[in-house]
Amino acid sequence: MELDAFKAAVDAWLDEHERVLTCDYEGIGTLDQQMAQLGKVMKMAYDAGFMRMGWPERVGGLGGSNLLRAYLGEALTARDLVEPGIYSMPEVLAPTMIDHASEALAAEMVPKLLSGDEVWCQGFSEPGTGSNLGSLACRATRTDAGWRINGQKVWTSLAQYAQRCVLLTRTGTAESAHRGITALFIDMDSPGITVRPIETMHGAEEFCEVFYDDVVVPLDRVLGEVDGGWSIAMDLLPYERSTALWHRAAYLERRLGQLVSAAPAGTLSPTAVGEATQLLWAFRARSRATQRRLAAGQTLGSETSIDKVLVATAEQAIFDLVAEGLGPEVATGDDPVSARWRAEFLYSRAATIYGGSAEIQRNIIARRLLGLGDDR
Amino acid sequence: MEASDLELFGRGIRHATETCADQALDAALDELGWRDALLADRSTAVSLLFEAQGLVVADSSALDWLLAAALGEDGGHTSVVLPPLRRAAPPARVRAGRCEVRGIGTKAVARADSTVVVAEADGGPVAFTVKASSLELRSVRGLDPALGIVEVTGDLEAVAGRPVDWEAAVSVGQLAVGHELVGLARAMLELARQHALDRVQFGRPISSFQAIRHRLAESLVAVEAADGLLAAAWDDPTPVTAAMAKAMAGRSARAVARHAQQVLAGIGFTTEHPFHRYVRRTIVLDQLLGASSVLTRQLGEDVLARATLPPTLPL
Repeated sequence: MELDAFKAAVDAWLDEHERVLTCDYEGIGTLDQQMAQLGKVMKMAYDAGFMRMGWPERVGGLGGSNLLRAYLGEALTARDLVEPGIYSMPEVLAPTMIDHASEALAAEMVPKLLSGDEVWCQGFSEPGTGSNLGSLACRATRTDAGWRINGQKVWTSLAQYAQRCVLLTRTGTAESAHRGITALFIDMDSPGITVRPIETMHGAEEFCEVFYDDVVVPLDRVLGEVDGGWSIAMDLLPYERSTALWHRAAYLERRLGQLVSAAPAGTLSPTAVGEATQLLWAFRARSRATQRRLAAGQTLGSETSIDKVLVATAEQAIFDLVAEGLGPEVATGDDPVSARWRAEFLYSRAATIYGGSAEIQRNIIARRLLGLGDDR
Repeated sequence: MEASDLELFGRGIRHATETCADQALDAALDELGWRDALLADRSTAVSLLFEAQGLVVADSSALDWLLAAALGEDGGHTSVVLPPLRRAAPPARVRAGRCEVRGIGTKAVARADSTVVVAEADGGPVAFTVKASSLELRSVRGLDPALGIVEVTGDLEAVAGRPVDWEAAVSVGQLAVGHELVGLARAMLELARQHALDRVQFGRPISSFQAIRHRLAESLVAVEAADGLLAAAWDDPTPVTAAMAKAMAGRSARAVARHAQQVLAGIGFTTEHPFHRYVRRTIVLDQLLGASSVLTRQLGEDVLARATLPPTLPL
């Protein structure tokens, strides 16, 4: 389907089903409410065929370019029907399965993710492994019964809701660094997994500590090659900085629009509003070019770190304005809309931390795009 | 343009800007058929040439040709009076049958036989094509003498004015200057990048220090943000998108100048190093056809007054 026809079809469908699709809570809601809303919207969009567009047929998709997925997410977030962070997780997880899982496993599992029947999480970070992913320690040992996993992950988003996890494990020696990492696809109901949600400063238990004690995973659940997990992580990161960020920009545009109509006269600096608007438009221009390169079959790489720096900078600039134009609402407003502004202001502080910190993105740009060599 | 033609044309443009200056560059552009390209594929002709000019701090009469064409002046080596620095409004005003001119010009104005003057009038902007000798030109050296800016004043009889779309002409001019600023920024970043790789302190190249690396990374982000917005503005060249792109290009180039100057340190502060030429051009071009500070504040004021954002950039 052509993009324009798809846009028209999505818009018409959203108009027609607006009443059912709209959140049944005011403001930001609890994470439970957000997850229920996400499941409802995904299921409806999947049954209508839209959620299957832009994904290959061998994983239950209906084909077509990634631009269709970019538009669907844009339309859903721009109408406040889904929270972009949790909606966009399949943009990272599904391509990983498509590129690296066995055909049978991808065909069995991906439809469960896209239809909203299942939630998946991504087990990368550890207490001692944040920016330096190559140092991870969660151990997977090969036994006759399968891979035996022992270790701990942290910042695993939505682990308490997840049925599956893409888990990075240490299969080489402790010194093997990025060479001895293996990616496994695990069932979260496996015995030995303990999930402990962590409350964030914006008031949601969005991510968790996850403990793995003698968890056994079938041998055929390896993604890619044994000891080849690093390349999977590297392949996946550009996905994290492409379509998902386009979705996020639609959300930021909605909030900036709401801010400039809600902020009392004289509370916002025109120059700061102009700068934030230019930054968001510059990000959208850049991200659109990224979507088009992906649609043309190009492989995305380190250049997407520029997209990530831009969107995080725009998000913080916009919510800095929120804290000025809607200062009292953010500080003391008890109504649901004020509570949402407050939570989203707080969440924006993490934009330069998650998904590779701003410093790590600049390191990538310096090394890979500017050719500045090693930093030591 | 076909990919192979584009490659050839782009190479020709870059060669011309690297080897010719001033009037010789004008002649080289004519030989390359730049003005035919302008009619056939405006965004390509403009983006290629102006970024190339920025990369080597070259100047030509192309901005005048571009504006003249956008104002409906066909053929000839016409020049156009530009608004005073900082502003983007027409450089003249019609009052009581007289046209009062207060603007600036490039070298083309000093050279051309005739000049286009656009004036605010009751029914909207009107253009007059006037003899160069009827205007008073005063050479301005200022920050960037190589650019050869002249101050243009005059008090003319306001006859035979023709209505023009000044906003549309300014928009395309802003995009051109935006691309030139991106070229300047790319060149400044490259000068700083090469210096960081070559310069050794504490027994290692300073490019290995994170403080330096992050300044240069930040510079690349700024350049690409401006370049992306310029490309998008060509898809939909409204006055709003063009002004946003010009402002972003000015802000980005000035940010890059700041980072690059710090990385280049002592040598970048001397006239023995080419960096100072780029800074000079950057500051002046940021002011030309609307300063980034003015365009940015204006955008914010419009957004706040209408409580509405500019039209969204569609996928």
